[in-house]
Amino acid sequence: MTAAAGFAAWIGAAFIVLADGRRGLAAGIGLVDLGFTVLAWTNGLWPEGAILLAGGAVCVFELVRTGPQEWGLMPPASTPRLILALVVGILSLWVAASVTTGPGAALRFASLAVLGLMAGRLLQSQSSIAVLTAASGLALALAGASGLAPGGAGLAPYLFGAVIAAGALLLPAAESRGA
Amino acid sequence: MEPELAVALPATGALFTADQLGLGLSISPLSRALLLAAAASLTLVVTFAPQRAERALLLTWGLAGIAGMAAIAAAPSLDLVILVTLAIALLQAAVAGRRPLAARLRAPALAVALLGAGLVLARIDGAPILAKFAAVGLVAGLAAAVGILPYIHEFDAEEVTAASPVVWIAFVGPILALEIVTRTRDLIPSAAAAFGAMLIGLGLLNILWGSLASWFSEKGASAWHFSFMADWGLLMCAFGVPVADGQSAAVLVMYGILLSRLPLYLWSRQSLREKIQTDRPINLLAAAMLAGSAPFAGFAARVLLLRGATQLYWPLALVIAIGLLLWLPPSLRLGRSLGLPKVRQAAGTAIALALSVAIGLYPQPILSLAGL
Repeated sequence: MTAAAGFAAWIGAAFIVLADGRRGLAAGIGLVDLGFTVLAWTNGLWPEGAILLAGGAVCVFELVRTGPQEWGLMPPASTPRLILALVVGILSLWVAASVTTGPGAALRFASLAVLGLMAGRLLQSQSSIAVLTAASGLALALAGASGLAPGGAGLAPYLFGAVIAAGALLLPAAESRGA
Repeated sequence: MEPELAVALPATGALFTADQLGLGLSISPLSRALLLAAAASLTLVVTFAPQRAERALLLTWGLAGIAGMAAIAAAPSLDLVILVTLAIALLQAAVAGRRPLAARLRAPALAVALLGAGLVLARIDGAPILAKFAAVGLVAGLAAAVGILPYIHEFDAEEVTAASPVVWIAFVGPILALEIVTRTRDLIPSAAAAFGAMLIGLGLLNILWGSLASWFSEKGASAWHFSFMADWGLLMCAFGVPVADGQSAAVLVMYGILLSRLPLYLWSRQSLREKIQTDRPINLLAAAMLAGSAPFAGFAARVLLLRGATQLYWPLALVIAIGLLLWLPPSLRLGRSLGLPKVRQAAGTAIALALSVAIGLYPQPILSLAGL
């Protein structure tokens, strides 16, 4: 179950990297959210997982509620993005399963893969919706990764992460203005 | 209060205590001292803002920034520091600026990703080299958050201040850097030496790049932006020197950024637009303050840094001392760009100069406030 959840988070992050349309981005953030929620629940963090699920769900809702509903998956010239998604996934899997030791390999894999792919998306994209979705993904990944803290980091990171993920897409894509 | 709320709030309190939430709030003396400096800087900037400046906007966003800084300082874990940074980045991106939203959000959000990756690597068990990779992630994230080499933020001289990268390099940056550096030392003690070395290396690079770029840059506003980078180089070196003098120097450099360089930059924007340059005594005094000459606060900071660096490794002090000479030519240029301040800005400049002299001559109250 945990391996499937970690894999789902990576697939979701890959969707965010590969998609330009709102539906594709919504599917991606939904999978990332689901992955980290299941990882929290399998760690026994039930309220934390539920909060993450709610935050991600609001983000998905915001994406599918407004704007042109397109998938925009793998538009022309997206081969470098596909390579990025694969390379980051393989590298994260190697670090999580081989370089590091101890329990929680799926959470380590999901955290590193999502953080790496969101960083890539932020650097590459010119679209405000894609960048805001990547920021939501970052918030969910950071909240989920707080489960790696020795003794747990409490509810606060999950709450903050969920609020940020839910609120990011509510921001106005601000108009240009001078000094 | 509505009856439903009167029932619901205590019930919520019973469900989650502050400990369960992970919110044991406390602020370190160092952070408290910096918050005070930020508040003083905002007061100075707003009170003596030029006529044409949008004071209400400056005050609103300044107060929001201080609230964000307080949240960073009070956050009980590095996870929360990073998440609060992301929240600040998103809120700042909501301010209407000249650059597209993607460009404004890119650098701070990338910083969050790098800091997050560093934090994850610091927390997992495995090969000892992981701690060093964690240090790389945290230093790279810090540089990206503040906007210094190797990740300089895209700068538009005409952009409204609240939406510009100056917010990160001159206002929110110092407290964020302080929290990241102090918490990283506790998080990865095994890589503390590597972490310090990276800070010093990056600091020297920024001293060189920032001061030369500030000297030779064609645009006046860009010269100011690069001068902040040079100051950050000094600050990174001070953070990397793990002795008391280094930490004291760091506090004074941060005070210099908040109370001297930031107000002067904001007051010089109008004369920069009008391309006015003057060589009055006030311009020379401002230049001396920006260059860190005696008796200003920058001088005390530099002396402490050199003393700390000598204790650590004397050739480092020599390199930093040579680097300090690079401050002089760009500071003369920046001092001239202040123009001839009108009554309000002249009063503000005089207060900034007086504060800097007071801190330079007797820095102990500030250092005591910071617990040093």
